[in-house]
Amino acid sequence: MSTSTTSNGASTVTEPAPRSDRAGAMTRFLENYALLILTALVFVFFSFFPASSATFPTLTNLNVILGSQAVIAMIAIAALFPLICGFFDFSLGAVAAMTQVLTAGFMAKSGWPLWLSIIVPILLAGLVGLLNGFFVTKLEMSPFVTTLGMATLISGIMVWYTGGQTIVSGIDPAITKFGSSRLLGLPTVVFVLLFVAAIAWYVLTHRPFGRSLYAIGSSSSSAKLVGIRVNRNVWSSFVIASMIAGLAGVLQLSRAGSASASAGNDLLFPALAAVFLGATAIAPGFFNVIGTIIGAVFVSISVSGLTLSGASGWASSVFNGIALLAAVGLSTYLGRRKRAG
Amino acid sequence: MSEDQASDADGIDRGGFVAATIGADASLAVEITGLDKHFGGTKALSNASLRVRRGTVHALLGGNGSGKSTTIKILAAVHQADAGQLRVFGNEYPLSNYTSAIAQQAGFRFVHQDLGLFEDLSIQENFALDAGYPRNSAGGVDWRQLRKRVAGLLTEYELDIDPRRPIRDLRPADRTIVAIARALQDQEGDELILVLDEPTASLAAHESGRLLDLVRRRSDQGQTVVMVSHRMQEVLSVAHDFTVFRDGKVAGVLTDASPTEDQLIELMAGAAVQSLRPSGSVSHRTGKLVLEMSEVHSGPLEGVDLQIHRGEIVGVAGLVGSGRSSLLQTVFGAVQPTSGTMSMAGTPYSPSQIEDAIHSGIGMVPEDRGRDAAFPEHSVSENLALAMLKEYSHGGWMSRSRERRAAADLIKGFKVKVAGPRALFTSMSGGNQQKVILARWLQRKPLLLLLDEPTQGVDVMSRADIYSVIREAAASGCAALVASSDMSELHALCDRIVFLAGGKITGEVAAESIDVDSLTSLVLRERNPTGASAVTHPDSSASVQREGGTT
Repeated sequence: MSTSTTSNGASTVTEPAPRSDRAGAMTRFLENYALLILTALVFVFFSFFPASSATFPTLTNLNVILGSQAVIAMIAIAALFPLICGFFDFSLGAVAAMTQVLTAGFMAKSGWPLWLSIIVPILLAGLVGLLNGFFVTKLEMSPFVTTLGMATLISGIMVWYTGGQTIVSGIDPAITKFGSSRLLGLPTVVFVLLFVAAIAWYVLTHRPFGRSLYAIGSSSSSAKLVGIRVNRNVWSSFVIASMIAGLAGVLQLSRAGSASASAGNDLLFPALAAVFLGATAIAPGFFNVIGTIIGAVFVSISVSGLTLSGASGWASSVFNGIALLAAVGLSTYLGRRKRAG
Repeated sequence: MSEDQASDADGIDRGGFVAATIGADASLAVEITGLDKHFGGTKALSNASLRVRRGTVHALLGGNGSGKSTTIKILAAVHQADAGQLRVFGNEYPLSNYTSAIAQQAGFRFVHQDLGLFEDLSIQENFALDAGYPRNSAGGVDWRQLRKRVAGLLTEYELDIDPRRPIRDLRPADRTIVAIARALQDQEGDELILVLDEPTASLAAHESGRLLDLVRRRSDQGQTVVMVSHRMQEVLSVAHDFTVFRDGKVAGVLTDASPTEDQLIELMAGAAVQSLRPSGSVSHRTGKLVLEMSEVHSGPLEGVDLQIHRGEIVGVAGLVGSGRSSLLQTVFGAVQPTSGTMSMAGTPYSPSQIEDAIHSGIGMVPEDRGRDAAFPEHSVSENLALAMLKEYSHGGWMSRSRERRAAADLIKGFKVKVAGPRALFTSMSGGNQQKVILARWLQRKPLLLLLDEPTQGVDVMSRADIYSVIREAAASGCAALVASSDMSELHALCDRIVFLAGGKITGEVAAESIDVDSLTSLVLRERNPTGASAVTHPDSSASVQREGGTT
């Protein structure tokens, strides 16, 4: 709206209407793809920036970026589900750490076979989501405090379980082999991520369930009155989120080869930054899967570039913080502008 | 009796105006003349006037859209008048730059239907948040002084409650009294004017009796009160003077009078009220039963019996709080009845959730469109599709272009003025938004459409469109149940109108057999139109006695 009026004012006398139409389409395109373009620019910058040009654009580094980014991106996709219906889940980082520890621990301490050591922790992650959903929907507890409390609780239990030690031995080598394996020149975990992302995209855009979540996020009372079971859907979103985060934890174990109780929260905040950055792209104003993936790539490329340019360790935290703030600001602004029409 | 005591007890010159039959200018608290107000093309007020005598209870009466609420909102500076003069206690206040701060300074204190109390906070904190916290020498809150002051005020208003109790513990009438006491707490020396907007709308009869007794006693002690209410008997029991609005004009002023209910209703309904469309609509009623309710109890509903037939448009008339919305919500499965039975199209019907109602072929257009129907940041197409998600899922995929094509057809079919299916829902006017909500349900070809205030916040032109949409749906066999506080709407739209009072259907009329005025008076009386006295007000006998004592 506002852009078309300014372009009208700036345009010469001839045919203002088509010009403003074209300007409108142009701004829409820029809005939808700004993050993608920005990501490409950052990539090009670090590829030619003298301090990082030697190490940044190498195949090895790109594989490191993609591999480490896959786990964060998967937690971001997990966080999408409750966020779309308007609920934060702060326990997802802790849930990922939990499955990472339990998968390793079940093999190392209890001698369980690999498949069982993967499935049981992911089911336990689902149980955490079930509890979160129960507290938030049935007991109407604040999702913020509930999931934060759950995160602290899980972390505490994991410290007890590991005795504060890092589990390094007794882990089935098959899983670490998978974590470092490559497919078509890319880390295999990236394909796991893309597979999960594709399913999430399909569910969120082409299943009545996913579209119900967007409806709930827009207005839960309107959603209720068009026959959407609000509580059940919100509850499901917490379970799905926890299970995806659980899978992310298993992937993290496959890449790291070890597990400690303290790993969780480092993953959550870059993931949230990716989700909110994602809401500024593709479908501006709405949380979406493709935007989230682009957001995750943007954050990891930027952090890697900064690190390889010789920036200190704190730089990545500063960058994540700024990216999260900017992303929340932008997506709020876009949402509000949408609402205002 | 009580008046004599009161005039002895206080020094305000009450005796003067009791003697005066027609108030002289010096005794006027509020004087409004030549008040005009337009909303777009519609004239809400035209040359309206109001004279409120000091120390009296002045009732503002009138049907919906008569202009009484607009007048109050102008006094509260919610709306700005187009023209008019305002004098308060003899001082002139120009209405062209009238603000809520000036209203406060002039002496107006408003207590609205929504009392604006903080439920979880204590009574004393509710007082302090309005007037400021008293400080002690250290700069902290002086809780003891606050408690003493509020306790004193509560005693003055005949409430024997600890000021530290939270508001949520109070009975409904006591909350209203607390709100009144809070509004008037800074009345020291200055004379204030208390404006009560529908103070009893949400109160049960015995509760409102207590409140009104208090209002009357305060006025006997010199308090000037302006009161808006729909409930005839209550107004008659408490007010000295009456100003009746009709179609934005003053239809009658009764000073120090005790009119009968019939006289007031005649003034309010008048002969000039015109329906938007003549009700000569074809009745689409057929013999087939769609919805049958028997002895349904749910919230305020205490045994509702109702039958709706295919193609029939049934209106529900009743005062605010009569349970019109509860009736619709019960049918829609949003609220479960505590007892009674329902059937849809001949089969037993007991929805445990809204989904069940939708699957049984029911749709609902709620009263508050912005909160309960709209998905504001989504497109028109998405807003339409969200009621059809399962139907739009084909072979595991949901085609947006297919949805947009369907939306485009609906936009054309329902004459919605909008840029296209992709346009944002909020980019449309209220009337067009409402058409989209109607289309959302009608695309499902429902058996029964529930409409709660279907044309609230809708312009006149769209209103006619919405009526014809509903009638066309009825012509194709859809039944409709319409709850509305607008009598001309019920009259223009419905085949049959049922009256809801005291939680029961107290009677029904065929729309063609009655005019809007008679319909209005039937609802205002809260009585069975067949003449059998169905509703009796417990406090009506008391009020008659008091009226007799005053005159």
